[in-house]
Amino acid sequence: MVTVAGLGGETDYEQRFTLLANDTDKILKSGGGADRVVETFKGADSTKAKVTAALNQIASQAKAQDVLVLMMIGHGTFDGTEYKFNLPGPDISGTELAGLLNRIPATRQLVVDMTSASGGVTPALKKDGRTVITATKNGMEKNATVFARFWVEALRDPAADTDKNEIVSALEAFHYAQTKTDAFFKDQKRLATEHAQLEDQTKAAAFPLVRYGSAAAVVNDPAKRDLVSKKEEIENKIDALKFEKDLMNPEDYKRQIAALLLELAKTQELIDK
Amino acid sequence: MKRCGLLLGLVPFLLPAQSLQRAEALWRAHDYVAASNEFDALLKAQPDNANIKVRAGQFYFERYYPDDASKLFQAAIAMDPKNAQAYLGLARVYEENFSGKAKEAADKALEIDPKLYEADELKARIALEDDDQKGAIEAADKALAIKPDAVVATAIHAAVDLLADKESPWLAKIGNRGVGYETIAHFFVINRRYEDGIAYYKKAVAATPDLWSAHSQLGVNLMRMGRDGEAYKELELAYNNDHTSDASTRNSLKLLDTFKDYKTFETSTTILKLDKKEADALRPYFEDQMKFNIALYEKKYQYKLKEPVQVEVYPNHEDFAVRTLGLPGLGALGVTFDTVVAMDSPSGRKPGEFHWASTLRHEMSHVYMLKLTNDRVPRWFTEGVAVHEETATTPDWGDRITPEIITAIRDKKLLPVAGIDRGFVHPEFPAQVIVSYFEAGAMCDYIAGRWGELKLLDMAHEFTKNVPTVTVIRDQLKIEPEAFDKDFLADIDKQYGNTVKHFEEWTKGLGELNKLSRQPDAKPEELLTKARELEAIYPDYVELGNAYLVAAKACLAKEDKQCALDEYAKYAKHSGRDAEAIKFYAKMLDEAGKPKEAEVALDRLNWVNPLDQDLHQKLGGLYLKTHDAPLAAREFQALVALHPIDAAGAHYNLAMAFNAQGQKDKAREEALNALEAAPNFKPAQKLLLEVSGDGTSK
Repeated sequence: MVTVAGLGGETDYEQRFTLLANDTDKILKSGGGADRVVETFKGADSTKAKVTAALNQIASQAKAQDVLVLMMIGHGTFDGTEYKFNLPGPDISGTELAGLLNRIPATRQLVVDMTSASGGVTPALKKDGRTVITATKNGMEKNATVFARFWVEALRDPAADTDKNEIVSALEAFHYAQTKTDAFFKDQKRLATEHAQLEDQTKAAAFPLVRYGSAAAVVNDPAKRDLVSKKEEIENKIDALKFEKDLMNPEDYKRQIAALLLELAKTQELIDK
Repeated sequence: MKRCGLLLGLVPFLLPAQSLQRAEALWRAHDYVAASNEFDALLKAQPDNANIKVRAGQFYFERYYPDDASKLFQAAIAMDPKNAQAYLGLARVYEENFSGKAKEAADKALEIDPKLYEADELKARIALEDDDQKGAIEAADKALAIKPDAVVATAIHAAVDLLADKESPWLAKIGNRGVGYETIAHFFVINRRYEDGIAYYKKAVAATPDLWSAHSQLGVNLMRMGRDGEAYKELELAYNNDHTSDASTRNSLKLLDTFKDYKTFETSTTILKLDKKEADALRPYFEDQMKFNIALYEKKYQYKLKEPVQVEVYPNHEDFAVRTLGLPGLGALGVTFDTVVAMDSPSGRKPGEFHWASTLRHEMSHVYMLKLTNDRVPRWFTEGVAVHEETATTPDWGDRITPEIITAIRDKKLLPVAGIDRGFVHPEFPAQVIVSYFEAGAMCDYIAGRWGELKLLDMAHEFTKNVPTVTVIRDQLKIEPEAFDKDFLADIDKQYGNTVKHFEEWTKGLGELNKLSRQPDAKPEELLTKARELEAIYPDYVELGNAYLVAAKACLAKEDKQCALDEYAKYAKHSGRDAEAIKFYAKMLDEAGKPKEAEVALDRLNWVNPLDQDLHQKLGGLYLKTHDAPLAAREFQALVALHPIDAAGAHYNLAMAFNAQGQKDKAREEALNALEAAPNFKPAQKLLLEVSGDGTSK
């Protein structure tokens, strides 16, 4: 997992970006497994040369089954053709970034670009197996963003874990940050100057960002495999029923979902014994 | 070809007279678009003609473009300083906005043309709007001396009689001239006698059926009284005939169209209209306050309303603003029409920007004062009592004295009690309406403090007899109005003298304090000393950059939690309501083992912004912790209604609150709601098994 906090330009932004990068670093290190590698670049360290070297090193070490997550905090620019991430010294362009990421063999990649004009990076980064989240709709939304602040908040707020599986996925963090960003502009009675984008929700749901509680615990007891299978079967039935909800008589739906949820709870209780 | 050239050469020479006649003819024929084009062409062709500017100004003023009209009149005056009609036009624009400059402009018009009776009529209107009946009659008589059948002057005479509940011989002289009845109706409305106003607008349209301005105002006032069906008909009639450009008609109709998006909740004593999007979240808090206020005022004013109080809450400030169009005074947050209160929703403004519960208590005081006095209460008194009520029961509510009020006290701009009404109607400086609210409230505080709370009720009863303020002061307080003013100002000096005296020093000091607090090497002890000095000078200042929060941070920097708690406590006591600061204060109280005090601190925010999800989450959690399950349920119900990101968590907490109250069915339903959102949410699964009587969980 790589986090880069770019050039602030002004003291206020410099401090803000560094703070967000520090928080992200801390959360990712404490909320992942032992096999997770976290690298963070901020302040004077977040140069193009250092970021390039780090991504090249990952490219030389990563395997196909690895997962790469790149988070970018700071300012970005878009000249109508090319997006650039502002770093101390030379900036890095969307095309250059895509070139570096394409060399990394990890087949599942998540890029979270939270800079201004970040929507401008999407065309360059488009690739099978890569999910891109941006703070803005396109390269023309050029105001400094607030999305990053809420994204980092999502990583540390258990409320972001909406399915209560003790894992905050990229999809959950996106929804959290998007909702809070919308509310921010609404509360301030200001016209929203950023509209976060995520192309593929299903893929984003499969990126676990932070784990807490007993989420990592795996049921290894062979005696409980039947129960685990039963649990999965009930979960599938619940998903199918929810899918049918709008077409069903509300009372029938309520009765059926209640029965399934109760059965699931009982099964979980037996697994946990 | 040659003839054509000749004709073209003549056109510029003939254009002004021909165009003016054509513009006037189109105006008379109600072809306003074509008339507007003619006037525009004329203004372009004759940029130096003051009379054309005046006539175009009169046209645009009538067609509801007061800003354009004002610019034209001012341009005419700049070209021709002796143009009486230009001054009269400007005076009319000012008068429509209840500007204090209207009289000055009318005087100027009369100075140039003493026979301009319309200027006398306008002065009569201005005087009567200020409740200066003597002045109104004098000005009306001057107009009548020049034009014996002047209809507005005649109506002013009639209005003076009718407002004093006397029969008027002047009514008959109005005859079938609708404008006269429309003028009378205007005075009833600005004196908050809406039903009487409606009756006279009806007379106006009966006498002159195509008087569309009266149809429009009839609609607006019917709407104020909650008679939406009748209102719609009148507004639509005005709109379809004449009033497409009139913001009041157009926006009122638009507002009526949005009422389908509102939910209405009725009890025997209350009617609450809330936007569907926020109805479920706001309802418990609004109903709670409405019922509290009714109980409070029934006891205090010894008066029981015969009909329910209707409260309409607008999430869009512009919708609320429609309700106050054409009325003098501020009405910035709420407005009362008889038993109907219209107000901004907490979502209509930036979070924390206004104390909605304080506004509701203020407005509901008007309902009682208006009913109790049969709408005969003067503006200053009902506003003063309403401001007094904001803090009388809950001292940490209400608005505190602002720097602009301090400046007004310093500059001796407070008005005598006999003339305070004009501060609301025709302000002479930008902040005068706000200053007048403060002053009226402070007068009522002073009366309650010196003569007892019941004296306010005695005064209200005397106002019922349509007695002027000076008489009521003499009768009830046994003091001359001038002596009252002197004593009152002495009391103001006692309360605020120190703040006023050191105001410049405080302003400078607060800037320096904030600057210093941003320095990384600032010494906490130095910050604390300076902050406390400023707190002592102006203890009521709790807005941006206030000294309390700087001091609290300084205390924390020296790791002195008790010192920080003390600063936050002072901030809250003086009505400080920054949500983040109060939440932090509550967290500190909870950590210090004082969860009950933390609840009190947080609960204050519900009366400021009940749409704050984080607030409900935190406060609900505290109530669960202190085993106050009903209030925990209230908080989590509000949270669920706000559709939080963590829907499962909110439903689960609500289930816990219901379970703690022994309401197993509700707890089961909410546990299921939590699990529907997050099927593997283990705590909710355990609770479901517990309340369903299944499984082994306890």
